[in-house]
This record gives sequence, structure tokens and C-alpha cells, in this order.
Amino acid sequence: MSENHVAPASGRQDEFEPKIVAFVCNWCTYLGADLAGTTRLEYPPNVRIVRLPCTGRIDFNLIVKAFEIGADSVLVSGCHPGDCHYTSGNYHARRRWILFRELLQALGFDMERIHFTWISAAEGHKWQEVVKEITEKTRQLGPYTSLYRGVASGAGVSPAVTRASRPRAETPTASAWGEESELALRETCRRLLAENKVKVVIGYGKRGPVFITKPEDVEKLVWNDECLANLTVYLKRKEIRALGRPAIVVKGCDERALVVLEKESQLERKDIHVIGMACQGLGEPKCETCEVHLPRFADEVIGQTDKQAPESADRWKALESLMALPAAQRMSYWATEFERCVKCYACRQVCPMCYCERCLVDKNRPTVIEPSATDKGNFAWHILRAFHLAGRCIGCDECTRACPAGIDLRLLNLSLAKAAEEHFAYRAGMDPKAEPLIGAYSLQDKENFIR
Amino acid sequence: MSATISQSALRELAAGWIAQGKRVVGPRLIASPIGPVRDGRVFYAPLQSSDQLALEGFIHPANSMKEFLFPKHEELYGYRITGKGIELNEVEPLRAEQVLIAGRPCDAAALPILDHVFNWDYKDDLYNTQRQLTTVVTLACAAHDEACFCTSVGLAPDAERGSDAMLFDLGDGEYEVRCLTEKGKALFDGKLQASERVASLPSGPEKRFDAVEVRAFVKDNFDSPFWPAQTMACLGCGACAYTCPTCHCFDIVDEGNIERGVRARNWDSCQFSMFTLHASGHNPRPNQPARQRQRIDHKFRIYPEKFGEILCTGCGNCTRNCPEGIGVLSVLSAL
Repeated sequence: MSENHVAPASGRQDEFEPKIVAFVCNWCTYLGADLAGTTRLEYPPNVRIVRLPCTGRIDFNLIVKAFEIGADSVLVSGCHPGDCHYTSGNYHARRRWILFRELLQALGFDMERIHFTWISAAEGHKWQEVVKEITEKTRQLGPYTSLYRGVASGAGVSPAVTRASRPRAETPTASAWGEESELALRETCRRLLAENKVKVVIGYGKRGPVFITKPEDVEKLVWNDECLANLTVYLKRKEIRALGRPAIVVKGCDERALVVLEKESQLERKDIHVIGMACQGLGEPKCETCEVHLPRFADEVIGQTDKQAPESADRWKALESLMALPAAQRMSYWATEFERCVKCYACRQVCPMCYCERCLVDKNRPTVIEPSATDKGNFAWHILRAFHLAGRCIGCDECTRACPAGIDLRLLNLSLAKAAEEHFAYRAGMDPKAEPLIGAYSLQDKENFIR
Repeated sequence: MSATISQSALRELAAGWIAQGKRVVGPRLIASPIGPVRDGRVFYAPLQSSDQLALEGFIHPANSMKEFLFPKHEELYGYRITGKGIELNEVEPLRAEQVLIAGRPCDAAALPILDHVFNWDYKDDLYNTQRQLTTVVTLACAAHDEACFCTSVGLAPDAERGSDAMLFDLGDGEYEVRCLTEKGKALFDGKLQASERVASLPSGPEKRFDAVEVRAFVKDNFDSPFWPAQTMACLGCGACAYTCPTCHCFDIVDEGNIERGVRARNWDSCQFSMFTLHASGHNPRPNQPARQRQRIDHKFRIYPEKFGEILCTGCGNCTRNCPEGIGVLSVLSAL
């Protein structure tokens, strides 16, 4: 299904006629367009209007979908700030677009083809102007052929060099810094279980997570540099919940998930016992920029660490090397990476924040995200996954660790984390008092791309 | 007496196949313009040039060879809704003569095992056509890791099953070549040198479990607490099944709009809750332990009962790719 479903607007077949899809709100921009018509203002017929109740209801997937079915440019337009029929829909939309644009940029979308405007019911002239301008600009840009392809550059291919992948040790040994903590951890858990304070301890075992229910089994718990998993993901699982009140072993990075989950009403802090482990870093990329080596909100913290938070600028280093590439090359980078995606959804399953009972990608009446592991289906999935984590991803990088295709998914998360921090001074899971980023809005939200 | 080929001659030969328009698939180090992927992981991938072929420095590619015979997404036919009826149109299958080179013997052994299921009550043309167009050249394993267990399922680092020719690393850039079928012979015809050198057989991983015992165990322990105890940590992704050389479940989907679309088959996995979800909302396999049990049950009892073969070649990809360290080996070695 690679052919375009949107028929040419007018003119001869051989002449490029831009196809522009406009998502507009019912109350302002649609009426503005209507006014342009009734006042006999002329503007190019290249724009197809899709009318929605409110810009706050415009799903970000629609923008992507429009490009998929052959749009050359997309316009999103609604009421001016302060003018929303539903009081605040456009404020919510504004905040989302600010973030979503950054994700699209990281993915290498051609941002010159995505336009945002505020057009009121009285601004027929502005509608005429905007459509004329976008049509002209798109005509100059030509058809959007690089979507999900980028530029052919042989990216992703390198001559074979021999380099072993990181082996998973059969029996990892507690490293020097972990040994004492390991014993203390076992002792703590033995006490918690014996005193019946908790029914189960969710901790690390020799080969992956373990669920300890008897005091005599605490010897199975380990604490070493193989303790990579973010165990908070198990708090959502019915089988684990059925075991009773849990104690959970967390590192500083994992603990941020608890902050977000509590804010989103997914857990009651008093219902779980949190055992925080002081961490020296486990040698993962995320550890190089970690700022929370010591859990901050745990019921008890085991061990000590002398690790300091690094300079904040370092956190975006990985992202910066991606953003240094031209947009079309970024897109070909992702196209090459996503080609290996098999849609096993390991990225979703290991994510503590992905707790929906039924994921949007599993819904098929109607199909929102194509389940096929094709370029379309893969881009749609990874955009969906990343954006549903906007302002929520705590950067534990579990998605990246779990991906059997070795896709560097954290780059997408980083692009949104950076946007959240730069535009809204917001960091997920750092401040338990902060309102969730998406879902709240501010009249002061600043942007420079909506005209 | 043996026949050998130098590494440079092998690469030249592979370059020749590529030039002839064959699809040549082999282990390839994946890197990107912004740095290596996850410590430079190796994947089976089509080679654009023969110097991309990775011959050493890794144990097993992160994926399996099955996707070059049974792709993760495959269009079956297209449809168009016209006024009153539906018009079906054949999709030209993307079939090409291909050489799978330097694959692991455990991946090659999976192909004859898969042949059963694709030729059982229905002869799958798409699979069979590509299978016939494929020549498999394996490279005997000189090393193994903790996840490998081919010897536990009746195979070995130099198991010939499914291979048309097998290479043995002699060191110093020379490979002994054993042509096992006519296809293999045709591929290397006139390219080999007679030599006195014979590869010493590599030693495989220790035997970790007994497949017959496993079969008996899964038969009698459907509701055993063993399953939750071993697989509670399973998060229900499909990484094990999708990187497994023998897992072959698929789903049929229609993709398109109200005017036209395609019917396609996509990989599916018994580890997804949706796999067995009934329309009523009932799910006969309600949790991950039940789904993990199914995976073992299918591999070690159901498939052998039906086709006489274990649906597992001991490649260890399930263990290597599981984010939580679960896999056939770790579950069964706990038996």
C-alpha cells in the first residue's frame, strides 16, 4: 500500500500539485475558512480540510497518518489562545505540539511541511493568506518523497569488524562495592518477610528478577552490576499484585518511575515498601549521566555511594550526535534502524510507564497503528510509543536494553526529555509535587512556531 | 584429503553471487552514523558487499535466518472494493535466488524442522518457493556461550542438518569446505583447493537437559507450580519467539482503507495475551507462566508428537534476547 490515496488536486498529472491536509477546529478555523468562502476570497484548492471538535482533540497520529497517505504538507489550526470554545483545548494542544515537534525533528521529518496557526472565525483573510503561502511553499519543496526513507547513504552499514557483544555472565559475582549491600539487603528482606510487613519481595536474582515470599529464600537475592532491570514494571502485573503487599528493590533511576506512577494514580505509595539501593553505576550509557545514585524516597536505603551528578549538558550527548545530522539523514538513520524492528513490543513490555490494559496498537476496530513490521507500521509504532511517554519517561533505558533488534530507542525518549526540560523546566519523576506535564497547561507556555 | 578456500576467495565468491543478482544473507555487524548499536551487535542481514560479512568475533547473531524464508511481514494478496464486488489481485511474491552464508548450524537445522509445518495440511507456496531458491552455507561453531545448548536437543556445533555446505575455520584465514548436497557442490564448484588439512571438530556446550525427560515432564505437569516459579518474571514480549529460528506462528491482517488494501501475514507470538484472547473476553492462557508453559510444551511435546522432531535447535537466542534472563535453557535447566 505504498501508493498515495489522496488524488491530485487539479491540473495535469505531470505537474506537481501539492496535497495539503488541514486539521482544523470546528469553532474557529473552520468558520474562518467558511468565511473566506462566503466572502469570495480566492485561495488554492490544494487544501483538504478535516474538521475536528477542538485542536485539543487532534491526535498527533493524524499528522503522521496524513503524510503516510500522501499529503505533502500538513496544517493544524485552531482558536487563538484565550478564544477556545472549550476554554482550554488549544492550551493543551499547544503544549503537546511543542513537544511533538521535537520528536518529529529527532525522527528527521521535514519540518517545513508542518504548519501550525491560530485562525479565528473572523479571520477569513488570514486563512486565505496561510493556504496560499503553504501551497506555494510546498510547491517549491516538491512532493514529500523522503518520508520514511530519507536519503540513500548506505547508513547503518559498516564493514565487518570483529567486536564481541557484551556477554551476560552466567553467575555474576557481587562486585566489591555490592557485597556488603547484598548481605544487608537480604537481612532487610528477611526481617520484612518474617515480621509479615510485606508478602513478597521483588528483587534481583542470579538470572533475572525474583519474587521472594519466604524469609528462608532471601539468599536468592543478589546485588551486583548485573542488576539492570527496572523492577517497578512488575508492580502493574496482576500475577504479582495477587501475591500481596510488595517490597520492591529500586535503584535511584528506577525510583523515578514510582514518582510518576503515584502521580498518575497507578499506585499508592503506602501500599508498597521501597528498598532503595545506593548505586555506583552499572556501566550502562544511562549511568554516565545519572544524577540519582542515591534513592530519595525509599523507606530504607542500603549502601553508600560517592558518585556525583555529572554536568547537566552531558545528558544530551547521545542525542546531539543524532541532531547534528541533516534532517533527511536522521530519517534514513531511523528507517535503517526500524527495518530491524520485529514488533515484539519488548520496548513496551519492559516499560514501567506502559501500563494500559490494552495498548492502542492492539486495537483493530479500527486499526490505529498498522501491526505490520513495515516502514509505515514501524514508524507509527515508535512515534506512538515515544510520544505516549512524553513528560513521563524517566530515562531508565529499559526499552533500549530490551530491544532484540538493538534499536537505540532512548534517543527518541531523550528528544522529548530535552524538550520537556528546555521548554517547561520539567523532568519526569524528579519532583513528586510537580503536575504531570501532559494533562496540565499554562497560559505562559512559550513557542515560536504558531502564527 | 579435504577441500579448502581462503577467506579472501570466499569473499570474492560471495561478491560474485551478489553481482549475479542473488540475495546473499550473512552475519553483519550493524553500526550507524552515530555510533555502534549496542556494543556492535551482529545480525543476519542482506549483504550489499561481501566485506560486510562478519565471520568471527560473535557467538550468534541477534536474529535468526528464518526471516529470509518466512518474512516478518508478507503480503498475500491485494483487494479493491469496486462498486458492487471485490476484486482480488495477486501480489507478486518477492522471491529471489539466495545464499545464506556463514549461518550457524543451529539456524540451518531449523529449516528442515520448519518444512514440516509449512507442508502439513497445506503446502505453503510462499515458503516452499523461497526454500527451493535458497542455498545454505553454514560455518561450524568454534565457540559457544552460556546460552548455547545445541547438544541438549541432539545437535552439535558441526551438525550438518539443513546445510548444503559447511565451512570449518582452519585459522589463518583458511576454511575447510564440506559440500553436503548438490546445491552446495554447485555453489563451490571449481573454487576449492585440495588440501591435507582437516578441521578438528569443535567441542560443543555441555549437555544441559534431556529432551525426552522434558517431554515427559510437560505432559504430566500442566498445572505444576514449576511454571509460575520459573517464569513469573516474564513480561510477555515476543523477543524470544521473534528471534527463535523455529517459532513460526503468524497472524493474518487486512491493511488498507475502504477502497483497497492488502491481506498480509505477520509474525505472532504465543507470549502475547492477545494471542489466545477470545471474543468473549475469556483468555484460556491468562498469564505469562501459562504462556511460557505453552512455549515449552509446543517445542518439546506437541511438535514432536505431531512431526517427530523437537521444535528447538538450542541456539540460545531466547535466553540472550530476553530482557529478564528467561529462556528455554534457563527454564529447563531448572527442571
